[in-house]
Amino acid sequence: MLGSIGYYFIVRSVLIHELDDALKVEEAEILSHVHSLDELPEPSSYRDQQISFAPAATPVRRQFINITRWEHHRHDETQPYRQLLFPVTVKGKVYTASVTKSEEETEDLLEWIMLVTAGMIIILLGILFMANRLLLRRIWQPFYQTLEGLRRFDLTKKESIAHTPTSIEEFRDLQTAVEQMTEKIRKDYEMLRDFTDNASHEMQTPLAIINSKLDLMIQDQELKEKHHRQLQAMYDAVGRLRTLNQSLLLLTKIENNQFAQAAPVDLEILIEKKLIQLEDPIRVKHLNITTDVQPCELQMNAYLTDILLNNLLGNAIRHNYDRGALDIVLRQEFLRISNTGAALPFDPATIFDRFTKGGHSEGTGLGLAIVKQICDNYGHVLTYSYEENQHVLRIQFTPPMTGTGRPSEFRQNAVLGLSHE
Amino acid sequence: MKLLIVEDEKALADSIYSYLQQENFVCEIAPSYTGALEKIEQYDYDCILLDINLQDGNGLQLLKTLKSNHKTDGVLIISARNSLEDKVSGLHLGADDYLPKPFHLSELGARVAAIIRRRHSAGSNFIRLEDIQIDIQARSVAVSGRFLDLTRKEYQLLLYFAYNKGRVVSKNAIAEHLWGDDTGGADNYDFIYTHIKNLRRKLEEAGAGDYIQSVYGMGYKLTIP
Repeated sequence: MLGSIGYYFIVRSVLIHELDDALKVEEAEILSHVHSLDELPEPSSYRDQQISFAPAATPVRRQFINITRWEHHRHDETQPYRQLLFPVTVKGKVYTASVTKSEEETEDLLEWIMLVTAGMIIILLGILFMANRLLLRRIWQPFYQTLEGLRRFDLTKKESIAHTPTSIEEFRDLQTAVEQMTEKIRKDYEMLRDFTDNASHEMQTPLAIINSKLDLMIQDQELKEKHHRQLQAMYDAVGRLRTLNQSLLLLTKIENNQFAQAAPVDLEILIEKKLIQLEDPIRVKHLNITTDVQPCELQMNAYLTDILLNNLLGNAIRHNYDRGALDIVLRQEFLRISNTGAALPFDPATIFDRFTKGGHSEGTGLGLAIVKQICDNYGHVLTYSYEENQHVLRIQFTPPMTGTGRPSEFRQNAVLGLSHE
Repeated sequence: MKLLIVEDEKALADSIYSYLQQENFVCEIAPSYTGALEKIEQYDYDCILLDINLQDGNGLQLLKTLKSNHKTDGVLIISARNSLEDKVSGLHLGADDYLPKPFHLSELGARVAAIIRRRHSAGSNFIRLEDIQIDIQARSVAVSGRFLDLTRKEYQLLLYFAYNKGRVVSKNAIAEHLWGDDTGGADNYDFIYTHIKNLRRKLEEAGAGDYIQSVYGMGYKLTIP
């Protein structure tokens, strides 16, 4: 804007200067006429140039001035004029000579120059804009790729952000910086994961020692009954530590995707088997179990599926009333397990968080966190609700993507299955 | 019967030693990879208890050496790394069994006894406890030739006691043996009580002696007089 205003004034002053030069030429002609003939030339009045003389008492100072005049023949508009006043002396008498030139032409010219320039600029801008869009898209392509990569970046996956080689230094720097940053984040994350893993593992041996010493101690026939009670408490505490430790390890392993091998699992059959496995606690609590199951086959890791059902059903039994109800509904799209039981003593929104449990619960508080993690890994949606005095846990299955389950996974799983026997 | 305990945690090795010593096993302890290597090359053992993570080497390497020397010692891997990969690779290398830490000594005892029975009394699938005979192949129990109708859990219990006879087996160990890590908590003790009561009743009805005693409500012990 300032630039265009400046441009206008510069062009204008150049044009005025041209006009002044023309006035000076006239002045020189008049002066040479006066000099050679010692008389005033004829005053003239043309449309674009008027020359006039007026007697003056004292010589006027030579100057350029801008004046405006009414133009009657042009709808009473004022028109700008450029006038040169200078003194002329003829036969001892002093006159003021004025040469006036219309600025109209100059204004017209200026207008045209401005119009043409503006037009050029607009066309240029348009071309620039189009070229920019095309060029930018190509030039910034590596940037957008990096951005997209950052957006899709998943710490738990081993994929690094893809880069196309670029000759632009800034983008190369960006790519290197992003690469280094993600590498560092990944390393830190892995270190943290390894820490949990190692800490849990390191705890196993001391636990094994405590456990074995307890096992030896109870062999002692001189122990009194009060000792037995204390030993029992120690046993239970060690047992809880052990379960806690194993649950933590399991969580890290699931997070690490160490159970990637998937095979078709038949939930209908697995639920049936699980209920037989859990018949003891079900019998002791006199639970009334109703099952409404339809065939449902999922592509999942067999071990994780077992844990999933175990934790869900185990919870539904443990947190149930005596002679309570446990309902299982299985469809191709979802699994719904509901059981009677007192309302949660904590905020239901935190039910899937780690270490969330009722005050007197013997559990680790990790059971449902593990279920949630397993569901997350497979994209299944796990929800909890409390309806009519019933705890309802529902898993909405995500249909497996086609093309999953490579032959090698099946083979590996078969090996693992054997080792479970 | 000769056992080798390869374990660098002295406290744990001592516990295992004391527990297994009672069952007429002759136990030796190798506290390091090199120590174990020496012993393995010199002697034959009925069963080697092998810790994978040793200070100066990997237990799996010992297992490889053992197999490449065509030794027939039974091997039970004890590992703090309860990972399927370790388990799979150990069993692939020819180990007989895999037991993750922490474990109950009674569980260890049962596994060792099972390995030795499989290795030694080739063909003999029977365990005798006075008048009780357990057929491991057929998973059946007979008292003086008369078969008992035992549930799966009752059978597992009896076999577990048989492998740990003369020693107190804690309720925690029994719960873990019967249910694994599935249903934790004290709930299990009630089920154990029910199963043991039924087992004793069935044995008694068949005319067997009452060999299973409760020890202060903390565990059980099978003693053959």
